[in-house]
Amino acid sequence: MSEKSSTLGELEVLVLLAVLRCEGNAYGITVRDEIRHRANRPLALGTIYKTLMRLEVKGYLDSSTSAPEPKRGGRRRKLYRATGRGRTVLEHSMKTLTRMAQGLKVVPEFS
Amino acid sequence: MTMPRPPRILERLIAWALPRAEDEFILGDLAEEYVEDRQRGSRARSILRYLWTGFAIAWHLRETRGSRAIQPRRGDGIVAAFIRDLHAAGKTLRHARGFTVTVVLITAVGIGATTAIFSVANPILFSPLPYAAPEHLVMVWERASDGSNNRTGYATFADLSREGRTLQSSAAIAGWQPTIATGDGDAERLRGQSVSWQFFEMLGLGPAIGRGFVQADDQPGEPRVAVLTHGLYQQRFGSDSSLVGKTILLDGRPYGVIGILPAGFDDVFQPGTQIYRTLSYAASQPWACRTCRHLRMVARIHPDVAVDAAATELNMLSTQLVAEYPTEYPAAGINLVPVHEEVTRQARPALMAVLIAAGFLLLIACANITNLQIARSVRRGNEFAVRVALGAGIPQLVRQLLAEGSLLALSGGVAGVLLAAGAITMLKPYLPEDLPRLGAVGLDISALIFSVGVTFAVGLLVGLAPLATARRAQTQAFRAGRSATRRSDVGRGAIVVGEVALALMLLTGTGLLGRSLLTLLAVDPGFEAERLLTLEIQSTGPNYGEDAAVWSYHDRVRDAVTAIPGVVAAAVSTQLPLGGNFDGNGIMAEDKPLDNPELAPGGQRYAVSPEYLSTMQIPILEGRNFTADDGPGNKSEQASDAGGGKAGVTILSASLARRIWGEESALGKRIRVGGPSRPWLTVVGIAGDVRHTGLDQTELHGFYVPERQWYWADNQVVLVVRTATRPLSLAPQIVQAVRDIDPSQPVMHLRPGDQLIATSTVQRRLALMLFAAFGIVAALLSAAGVYGVLAGAVAERRREIGIRTALGATPRAIVQWVLRQGMAMAVGGLVLGLVGSILLTRYLRAMLFGIEPTDPATLGGTALVVALVALGACLIPAWRALRVDPVTVLKAD
Repeated sequence: MSEKSSTLGELEVLVLLAVLRCEGNAYGITVRDEIRHRANRPLALGTIYKTLMRLEVKGYLDSSTSAPEPKRGGRRRKLYRATGRGRTVLEHSMKTLTRMAQGLKVVPEFS
Repeated sequence: MTMPRPPRILERLIAWALPRAEDEFILGDLAEEYVEDRQRGSRARSILRYLWTGFAIAWHLRETRGSRAIQPRRGDGIVAAFIRDLHAAGKTLRHARGFTVTVVLITAVGIGATTAIFSVANPILFSPLPYAAPEHLVMVWERASDGSNNRTGYATFADLSREGRTLQSSAAIAGWQPTIATGDGDAERLRGQSVSWQFFEMLGLGPAIGRGFVQADDQPGEPRVAVLTHGLYQQRFGSDSSLVGKTILLDGRPYGVIGILPAGFDDVFQPGTQIYRTLSYAASQPWACRTCRHLRMVARIHPDVAVDAAATELNMLSTQLVAEYPTEYPAAGINLVPVHEEVTRQARPALMAVLIAAGFLLLIACANITNLQIARSVRRGNEFAVRVALGAGIPQLVRQLLAEGSLLALSGGVAGVLLAAGAITMLKPYLPEDLPRLGAVGLDISALIFSVGVTFAVGLLVGLAPLATARRAQTQAFRAGRSATRRSDVGRGAIVVGEVALALMLLTGTGLLGRSLLTLLAVDPGFEAERLLTLEIQSTGPNYGEDAAVWSYHDRVRDAVTAIPGVVAAAVSTQLPLGGNFDGNGIMAEDKPLDNPELAPGGQRYAVSPEYLSTMQIPILEGRNFTADDGPGNKSEQASDAGGGKAGVTILSASLARRIWGEESALGKRIRVGGPSRPWLTVVGIAGDVRHTGLDQTELHGFYVPERQWYWADNQVVLVVRTATRPLSLAPQIVQAVRDIDPSQPVMHLRPGDQLIATSTVQRRLALMLFAAFGIVAALLSAAGVYGVLAGAVAERRREIGIRTALGATPRAIVQWVLRQGMAMAVGGLVLGLVGSILLTRYLRAMLFGIEPTDPATLGGTALVVALVALGACLIPAWRALRVDPVTVLKAD
C-alpha cells in the first residue's frame, strides 16, 4: 500500500504530530500531555497507547528503549520517533485537508 | 511528602496481563498518571482509573498483536513469526528446567529406539533391491514332494531358461570359495560365487572398470576369468587399475581379471561376496545332471508379464520335464518367489516384531510426554485463564503451545538421532552376518526423514495436548478450576491405562521370547559343545590334485593337533551340526526299492575321519564306530562285485534308520547314496541324532561315511578338536600346527563349540535383547505415568485429605484411597494389555519355540510383574498422602 493513497485518522494525525513535537522524549505520558495542552483534547492514556501501537504496526512510528531514569528504581521508557514513511503520510494527510479547506470561510488559513 | 504510588498487588496483576517485553514502560506511564490523579482526586477513583487504563492497554496490545499475526509486517513471513514464537517458547521452557529435561529425555529414548530399529529394518525390509526394476526378479525353485523349495540341477536350469517365454533372462548361481595366496605366505579364502554369464546383465549392472561376462566366458575349460568387487579390489590390490587384464592365482589356477564392480554393488543372494567367475558348465558334465540340485536359479520376468503368468508357464514346462524324466524329479512344479521376499524371509519376522516393539515404545513415550504436558497445563491453568480473559484467542494459545511442543520435540529429536546413531553402531555387530543389505544399514536419509516425521508428529501431539484444558480455561475464566482438574485427571488416567497396556504387551513379548530361548537352549544338540574347538581347513591347489593327497593332509593335520598338550582328540568332517552347510542326499535302501528314487528319504552327509563321532561325543547307540581299518572303499559297484578293495560302511542317525526300517534293526542292511552307479554301503552302526541346521529345526536325518570311502575327497573340511581346558586358550597353538604343515592353505572360522549353539540362536537373542530393553523402559515409563497422576492427585487434594483426616479417617483408609486410584489405572491397563497381547503375540509365532503365543503362565506372570511395578509406583504418593497434616492444610485456608 502506498503512503500517497492512505490517509490517517484524526487521532493518528494528532498522535503523529505530538510525537514530532516531543521529538526525543515522546512516550505515552508526554504525548498525552502534548495533545491535552495544545489541542485541548483530554484523551485517555489507553487511547494514546492504542494509537501509538497501531502507528507502530503500520510502520509510521519506530520505538527505542531509553536509559533508566537516574534515580533509585528508575525505570526505562519506550520512546517513539516518526519514521520517514510516517512523515510522508502525515504530509499527505495534511495536504489533503488543506486542499479540501481552501476557499472555505469557516476555516482559518493554514500557515 | 512521599510520592503516592499504585498498590503493589494491582501493579503485579496488570504486569501479569501485559507482555513481558512491554510491562516496564507501560507500568511506568500508568504510575505517572496515577500520581497526577492522586494529586487531584480521591484514592479510590485513582485506583479504578489505574486498573481500567491498565487492562485497556493490555487489551489493545493483544488486539494489535493479534492482527499483526494475521497480517504480518512487510518482510515478516510466517517462518519469521514462527521463529519468534519458538524464541518465546525457549524462554518459557528454560524456566521449567526439570520438566524440559524429562520431556527431552523421554522423547529422545522413543525417537532414538524407533530410528535405530527403522535404520536397520529399512534397507533390509522396505528398500527396493539395488538392481534395475527389482520387482521383476524372481527365484525359480523346483518344488519338492512336500511343496518346499528345492535347488535345481544344471540341465533343468538350461531347459527352463531356453523354453521359458515369460523369462527375459535368467542365471544360475553356485557357491565358490577360492583361496588366494598372499604375499607373506599365508593364504586367504575368498567368498565367491560361480554364476552363469547373464548374471550381471540380468541384474541390470555393469562393472565400473573393464567388462562383464559374455557367453564365450561361460564354457568349460581354460582360460577362466573373474570379476572382482570394489571392496576386494581396494583391500587386496590397492585399487590398482592395471589389474584388469592381468592374471591372478586362485586355488593355484590362473584367472584373468576382466572387470571390477562399482563400489555400491551389493549381492543379496550371498551377502558379502567378493569375487565372481562363470559357472562354465556343459550339459555333458556329471555334475550338470538333473538330480545334481545345487544351483539357485534367478530370473527376470518380462516387464509386461505378471509373476503369476510366469509361474503358470514354468509349471507347465516342469510338468513336461517330469513326464520326460519321471525318475529324476520327486514332484512336478516350480515355485516362483520374488527375490525381495526370498532374501528377507529369514529376517522379516524378527525385524517386524522389533520394529513394532519400538513403535510401542514411541507411543508410550508420547503418552508420557502428553501426561506431563497436561499436568503442566493444569498448573498453568491460571495463566491461561488470564490470557483468555484478556482477549488471547484460542489460535494464539495454540500457536504458543505448538511452538513449545515443537521446540521440545526438536530437542528430543536431535538427542534421539544421536542416541540412534550410537545404538546402530552398538547393534551392528550383533546382526546376523548373512542378512542381506547389511552394508546399507546406517543412519540413512530415509531414517532421518522418518525421525523428523516422528518428531513433528510428537510435536503436534505434545503441543495440542494441553489445549483441552486451555479451552476450558476460556469458559471458566477466573473461576477456580477444580472440576477442570478432575476432568483432566480422567484424561490422564486414560492415557496411563494405555501406557500400562502397551508396557504389558511389550513385556509379554519379552517373556515369550525369553522362554523360547530357554527352551531352545535346553534342546540337546546331540553332541557335547563344551571344550570343543572347530576350525575350517582347506586343501586346494596343484599339490592336492589327487584325493590321496587331501586325505593325507587331513591325517597330518589331525596327528599334529592331537600331539598338542591339552588336546584330547581331533577329527575332520565335511560339515558341522547346527552349521546349515546343507549337504542333503537321497538314500536308497537295498531292501526297499522305489520306482522313483527321488522320493527316497534324504539325509545329511558327513564324510569323516574315524575319530569324528567320539571326538564330538555323539553316542553310538547300536553296532560299532568307524575304525582306522575302514580304509579306501570302492568307487563303483562293479569294483565291489569284483571283490577288489573293502566293502563300504556307514553309520546312520537313529532317526534315519527308523524312517527307513521302522522298528527293524538297520545293522547289516545296505544303502546307496548318489544314484545307481554308486556302491552299496553296509550299515555298521547307529548314532544318536544331532541337529543339523539349527536348534529349532527338526531335521535329524544324517549318515556318516569314512572320508576315504566317499567318491571324492572334500577339500574344505572342518577340524573338530576336543580339549581338556578352555578351547580358545589352545587356539594359537592349533592354528600354528595347521600352518606348519602347509602355510599356503587358509585356516578360517575358528570357533569354540558353544558358539555353534550361540550362532544358532543369534536372531532370537537379538530380538529378546531389544524386547527386554524396550519392555523395561516401557514399564518404567508407565510406572512414572502412574506415579505422576497419583502424585498430582494427592497434591491437588491435600485439602480434602486433610479434612478427611481431621474427620477421623484412619491412615489405612487414606492409603486405600490412593491405592484404589492407582490400581484402578493398573487393572484397566492390564485388562487392555492382556487383550492386546492375545491379539498381537501371534505375530511373534515365527520366533517362538516350544511355547504358544497365548501361553497362560507367561501372560499371567507378566501381568503380575506389571501389577507389582504399578503398586510400587503408588507407594510414594500414598506415603505423601499419609504425611498430610490436617492442621497445616486447614490453617492455609
